[in-house]
Amino acid sequence: MKSIRKIAERIEAGFASKGIKKYSYHIVEKETRELSAENGEFSLLRTLFDNNVVLSAFKSGKNGIVSGNDMSDAGIDALVSSAVLSAEAAVKDPAHDIAPEQEAAKFRQGCLKPDFDRFFERVKELLSDIKAEYPKIQIMNVISKYVKAHSLLRNSNGVDFEANAGHYEVVIEFAGHEGDKTTSLEYTGVMMKDLEQRIIDMGSMRYHLDNAQKQLDQISLSGKFTGSVIFTPELFAEFLMMVVGNYISDAVLIDGTSLWKKKIGKKVADEKLTFTIKSSDRRLVEGERYTADGFRTEDLPIIEKGVLKNFKIGLYASKKIKKPVSKNSSMDFVVKPGKSSLQEMIASVKKGLIVGGFSGGQPGASGEFSGVAKNSYYVEDGQIKGAVSELMINGNLGSALQDIRAISSEVLADGAMVVPYALVDNIVISGK
Amino acid sequence: MLNDILKTKKSLFSDDVQTVLRGQENRNRRVVFLQGNLVGNVRSETRGVSARVFKNGVYGFSSMAEYSKSAADAVLKAATENAKFLDSHAPKGLPAQVSFGTGIVPVHREIIDFDQKRIIETCKALDDYIVRTYPDLTSRTVVYTEDSQDKILYTSDAYDGHITNPRCYIYVMMTALSKADNAPLELFEVFGGSGSFESHFKTIDWMYPAIDRLHKKLMDKVDGVYAEAGYKTVILGGELSGMLAHEAVGHTVEADLVLGGSVAGPNLDKRVASDLVTMIDYANTTPTGEAPLPVYLDDEGQIAKDAVLIKDGILKGYMHNRESAEKFGVEPTGNARAWDFSDEPLIRMRNTAVLPGTSTLEEMIASIDDGYYLIDTNNGQADLTGEFMFGVTMGYEIKKGKLGRAILDTTVTGIAFDMLKTVDMVSDKVNWNSSGFCGKKQRMPVGLGGPELRCKIMIGGR
Repeated sequence: MKSIRKIAERIEAGFASKGIKKYSYHIVEKETRELSAENGEFSLLRTLFDNNVVLSAFKSGKNGIVSGNDMSDAGIDALVSSAVLSAEAAVKDPAHDIAPEQEAAKFRQGCLKPDFDRFFERVKELLSDIKAEYPKIQIMNVISKYVKAHSLLRNSNGVDFEANAGHYEVVIEFAGHEGDKTTSLEYTGVMMKDLEQRIIDMGSMRYHLDNAQKQLDQISLSGKFTGSVIFTPELFAEFLMMVVGNYISDAVLIDGTSLWKKKIGKKVADEKLTFTIKSSDRRLVEGERYTADGFRTEDLPIIEKGVLKNFKIGLYASKKIKKPVSKNSSMDFVVKPGKSSLQEMIASVKKGLIVGGFSGGQPGASGEFSGVAKNSYYVEDGQIKGAVSELMINGNLGSALQDIRAISSEVLADGAMVVPYALVDNIVISGK
Repeated sequence: MLNDILKTKKSLFSDDVQTVLRGQENRNRRVVFLQGNLVGNVRSETRGVSARVFKNGVYGFSSMAEYSKSAADAVLKAATENAKFLDSHAPKGLPAQVSFGTGIVPVHREIIDFDQKRIIETCKALDDYIVRTYPDLTSRTVVYTEDSQDKILYTSDAYDGHITNPRCYIYVMMTALSKADNAPLELFEVFGGSGSFESHFKTIDWMYPAIDRLHKKLMDKVDGVYAEAGYKTVILGGELSGMLAHEAVGHTVEADLVLGGSVAGPNLDKRVASDLVTMIDYANTTPTGEAPLPVYLDDEGQIAKDAVLIKDGILKGYMHNRESAEKFGVEPTGNARAWDFSDEPLIRMRNTAVLPGTSTLEEMIASIDDGYYLIDTNNGQADLTGEFMFGVTMGYEIKKGKLGRAILDTTVTGIAFDMLKTVDMVSDKVNWNSSGFCGKKQRMPVGLGGPELRCKIMIGGR
């Protein structure tokens, strides 16, 4: 394998030989060591050597993008030729562009010298902890991996960002199981810089394991009512992703279907919500350091005290709709905690649910959502009455943000995000 | 197409393990016109080699992003070392897996490349037709997407072969504003299937009637109403019954998920549906011809066979790889498939369908006094319990045996083995869809199909 800088030289020589003066490219070399356990037993050990390069070439104001993983000289030359052909075939559009010159930077994050034996022991310990403490849990899969990536982004304006990052991650898939009774599938995961802590104590592992056991005994709920829903942090993050996709991202702003296209500076949520895409947060294991377009990443406030502060758009969309480009292309979500504890939130619910998962599609542009409430509990007069299933929740993303009644003081920090619980009113809940 | 450089590497396979060596190239082409703007113009190719080694009940795997003889040497060595590491640190002590024959399976289809320029011009022409014909749209998108897999497989004790899976599609998406509250409403139609660009898109005018129907449905939806939430009698269109076959039943009868505790485990040879329901995961050939995404050889080197899942309402079997087949004491069905060169094969569906019945759609509509006809879906999910959810993007009320107003986006849900027992009419035509991906750890192209089903289901709404 050639060095990443040698590959860069070959790409730039290739563009120069074809008279391409405007370009950008991104090279990633990745090494993964992955240990899987199936049904509680180790079954597979994988070692993966991967790499990828994405080239963006401009010719006569037209842009073509190609990607591949053949890093031989012949492979790079073929990719450069393909990028030029792709650009020639394109339609002229001045909105396609590359990032301006910025100061070159090198970044190092996470763990770059892994201890695989210790990692193996930590995963073994997790399996035995679950077996000892959660006897009604059937583990289907544990996927534990160490991932190390070396990447370089350069463009013809002089942008040069190089990053080295490494982390451990563990994802478990499991269900409660007793006799012929099986619960819905649950999964949870954590990202780690080091192996100091027992894995079972991290993220929301214990919450989900405990939940799957409790879900084995369910009460039934019928009829339809409008009530309150407490979203768990993982689900609240999922809904915020839908909000980003539906209202403030590239496609919906370019085609004009976003209902928030004129809402910058306007109130779009209850004032208790402050939501930032905050890659600099130290609780994140691998916050973004440069964007896909080639800008050095900055924190991006989305909603501050209920007011929409920014769209989340790339360079093309920013030029198309004439709004500032977002210098953050990540999903490094950080939501400011509130003042109520989870227990206080539950105590304040007259009639509603705690919902841990949502099985439903990406809502349409209107923001209407409708889906199955998974891993849920029924709450009445401030008390959890029992686990429930076969319930649907219906509402609207935009209205739901306005109907936030409380944000919890507890947050989930699993290495990939920092998000609290949220209590939302006026959700339609329906059973059989 | 990949050149075979791996044949000589069989001599490197160790005698005391079972080995699969795979060279693979995945190719993607993507063109996107959004409101007439070319916002996507991408070509990509990834290629590499991987080896999987089975030893005493555990697997070692390694891959390298390089298709070369030296990379093959390296991954064989690393995969063997990984298997030995696991065997020594977490021993299972199982015997070697049973062989079900050896031989060579030749390539069934060619992968043919086309100029990006031609693809762009085709999408532009389609976009021009839409903007010219339908001035009442809020927005429109035309997407060309092509993915193909080209694999060369060598095994120690199964079939060797050359596997190709080319497919390409054009998506047409339209948005208009609802009359009730000015909210944007979307619908899309997909064209294409297995094969290359030329086999589907040599001309484009054949798509116009379907695009006209899409526009008509969208205009009906503009006047649409919210469905009434509750437990209703409905007709699931072919797209939804295919989704049901894949998501709600198919996943629960993948043998790895059965071992993980799915609801199908305790229900083998028991009634799980009305006797009108038969469901099969076809490998490559259906009663009416080649399946939408035919699979002849899987990525463990097993000859792909049909898996009968439900026969006349009784759960009859599961989908298997070599390991699960051994655990259940049956022959493998050839369902082990991997998406990328760096992926290990998992049990995946191929072409999963509910078989047709004898009713006509017209008879089914006429039989319902108050319910819904649900036609289009954009996604679906299910879990181990068989509890499923499908997004519904197009449907109509049925009142007194006749179609009524269109309905706005909604969701249906149920427990598969409960809901299937309510099926009391099955139409005589199967509608196949092959454009989607299944997302079980890795992406995987899958075909799904079904006739219209009359049944009872929970529908979401206001």
